[in-house]
Amino acid sequence: MPRIVGIDLGTTNSLVAIVENGTPRVIPGPDGSNLVPSVVYFDENKEVLVGNPAKEKMVEKPKNTIFSIKRFMGKGMADVRDDLALLPFEVSAESDSIIRLKVFGREYTPPHISSFILRELKRNAEAALGEEITNAVITVPAYFNDAQRQATKDAGRIAGLDVLRIVNEPTAASLAYGLQERRHGTIAVYDFGGGTFDISILKLSDGIFEVLSTHGDTHLGGDDIDDRLIRFVLAELKLPESTGDLPAIRQAARKVKEDLSSAEVAELTVERLGYRRRIARAELDTMIEPIVERTLKSCRLALQDAGLQPSAIDEVVMVGGSTRIPLVISRVQNLFGRVPHTSLNPDEVVALGAAVQADILAGGKRDMLLLDVTPLSLGIETMGGVMSKIIPRNSTIPASASERFTTFVDGQTNVKVHVLQGERELVQDCRSLAQFDLKDIPAMPAGLPLIEVKFLIDADGILSVSAQEQRTGQYQSVAVKPTYGLTDDEVERMILDSFEHAETDIEAREIIEARNEAERVLSATAKSLLKPEFAGLPAEEKAGITAAADHLTETVKVNDHRAIREAIEQLDQATHHLAEVIMNATISEKLKDKRVREIE
Amino acid sequence: MNYFEVFGLPKRLNLDLSALERTFHELSRKYHPDYFTTAPAEERQRALQMTATLNDAYRTLRHPVRRVEHLLQVEGFKPDGSKVPKSFLMEIFDINEQLEEAKAGSATGEQIVALRREIEKRAEGFESQLQAAAIEWDSLSASGAPDATLKEHLSRLTEVLSESSYIRNLQRELEERS
Repeated sequence: MPRIVGIDLGTTNSLVAIVENGTPRVIPGPDGSNLVPSVVYFDENKEVLVGNPAKEKMVEKPKNTIFSIKRFMGKGMADVRDDLALLPFEVSAESDSIIRLKVFGREYTPPHISSFILRELKRNAEAALGEEITNAVITVPAYFNDAQRQATKDAGRIAGLDVLRIVNEPTAASLAYGLQERRHGTIAVYDFGGGTFDISILKLSDGIFEVLSTHGDTHLGGDDIDDRLIRFVLAELKLPESTGDLPAIRQAARKVKEDLSSAEVAELTVERLGYRRRIARAELDTMIEPIVERTLKSCRLALQDAGLQPSAIDEVVMVGGSTRIPLVISRVQNLFGRVPHTSLNPDEVVALGAAVQADILAGGKRDMLLLDVTPLSLGIETMGGVMSKIIPRNSTIPASASERFTTFVDGQTNVKVHVLQGERELVQDCRSLAQFDLKDIPAMPAGLPLIEVKFLIDADGILSVSAQEQRTGQYQSVAVKPTYGLTDDEVERMILDSFEHAETDIEAREIIEARNEAERVLSATAKSLLKPEFAGLPAEEKAGITAAADHLTETVKVNDHRAIREAIEQLDQATHHLAEVIMNATISEKLKDKRVREIE
Repeated sequence: MNYFEVFGLPKRLNLDLSALERTFHELSRKYHPDYFTTAPAEERQRALQMTATLNDAYRTLRHPVRRVEHLLQVEGFKPDGSKVPKSFLMEIFDINEQLEEAKAGSATGEQIVALRREIEKRAEGFESQLQAAAIEWDSLSASGAPDATLKEHLSRLTEVLSESSYIRNLQRELEERS
């Protein structure tokens, strides 16, 4: 089995980890840092920077430095309009069911941008392990819906990774925690990251990690806290949201937020605006109180779904950078009535857990098993725009359900099915997941065909659909059109694109290197042609050298590094004898000099 | 699909939940797709299907109401709203109306508390009815009672279930309100 890496594709930072000798470890990047900032910078020439070098461009080149792309995964334009108000990115007019960011006239979807981050992690792992990596487990927020999970899988594919499993972040964290600390009991994982919030309640027994319930908000994280601070500064300075100083303000906001996790008072400074203001932790607390309260509400709902009182939780595990905020820690402690467990590195524990899950898949750990759940109920649209649930939320996955459909008109050969995710009763309040047509139904009187549709949510939390007409036993073709996200064709095209780019990139580099070497060889040859030793060679050998040099001069102009290398080799051969003669002459010259000096 | 068979159990309604969980864990360790990542596609697909069925079965059987619904389905009984007595329906409409008023904000806190108590009392009533019927089913089927007796009992269970579904709907609406 080839190696499988675990990847935490975060809103703010991403990490890659691997299990070696039973222990998970994070693989650092070339700069030695475990965290690769989830930032992608594009320049005019399609040059792409990822991670820390890209992060450095955030203030200077805001329009072409993309960050927090995870918040757009699997989202439509209507979902993110508010966020975009505070972001410097240009959005294509084509965006509707998928966001298309415009950078230097080129369009990038969120999975495409995420794929650059994944490719960077892939490269880091390959450099550290000295082998090609093509298999990965990638984590997502537990509360991610079908489209968001699919978008993450698409990003992996575009990056050249076979995504063997999508794992929920809090569950991954529980694996890393369980490996180190506890093997039995009921734990709550409170995962408050840069862009998302999750709470998962798990029961641990004899290596089985069974998720009892999960709740969350895929649009609630440290970014929202930053936004509060940014709006506060904008209001104080009476600046519009569209101000060009937004990136600088965001940077200052993040810094003061982080400072206030350890200090009681910190200074919010935006140099270029000459803005300085002391902010007390209590002030920040007031600003973010509603956000923290929303996370607690999710916790109560998760407890309710698990049928547990807060006191039934043996341990609360804190995950994600935002759990460093003192107000968060104290509120969580209040709710559960116990001091939360903070000894694991909240930035790394998810990636470590992803590596553990990768190890389970690779056959390394047979004694551990993760049983996760689907966070949202799955349903179909029925008469009157009502959502009829067929797989309830918090069902252990894989899970399936069958529904029977029939026709309403004689001879009808098509039935439309609309699949939804959500908890509300009306279709309009749920998330549209996909529409599909049951086609090629045998023509029969109305109500007679009986098409059984099987809905299957796999271990990644992703839906697939199959259908069979019961009377004829005939399988129906089901063409699922996702409401949000990329079609398979689009993903394929991006994969091809990236392949072509990767190959042309390598080709281009090889040609440049071969040309450089050809120039070195040619200029050395030109020098030796002027030496007396060349003149003393037999005519045939002289002709051979000039012919080889002429050939290389011509070949260099062609875009073929193999041909250039061959011509270099030919010239090398032709000048081999000459080089020896010159070398000998130089040595005897030097000896001559020496003798003269000695005599003198 | 008979979920009782998945767990190797006879069609009984009173289950030892901790034994059910043990079997669930054992079977999960055997069939979970996590252990078939390197297996050929066919085996992987089979592991996925088996585990999905196992999970569906566990979800259904560990829940007291879903368990009864499943038994009825396996035995070929369908929920039938037409058998619900009129008088009962009238009471439900009455409670529903009060609930609507409460939603519209015209009810006092005391009225809402009273309403909640009323709904909960009925829910508890159905719970004990269902429990008694379940015990009776188990002893009937264990003692090899004649088919006609079993069928009659199942159709009575169907009625209890149909009525209780109204109460569960009221409970759900009450939850949504709070």
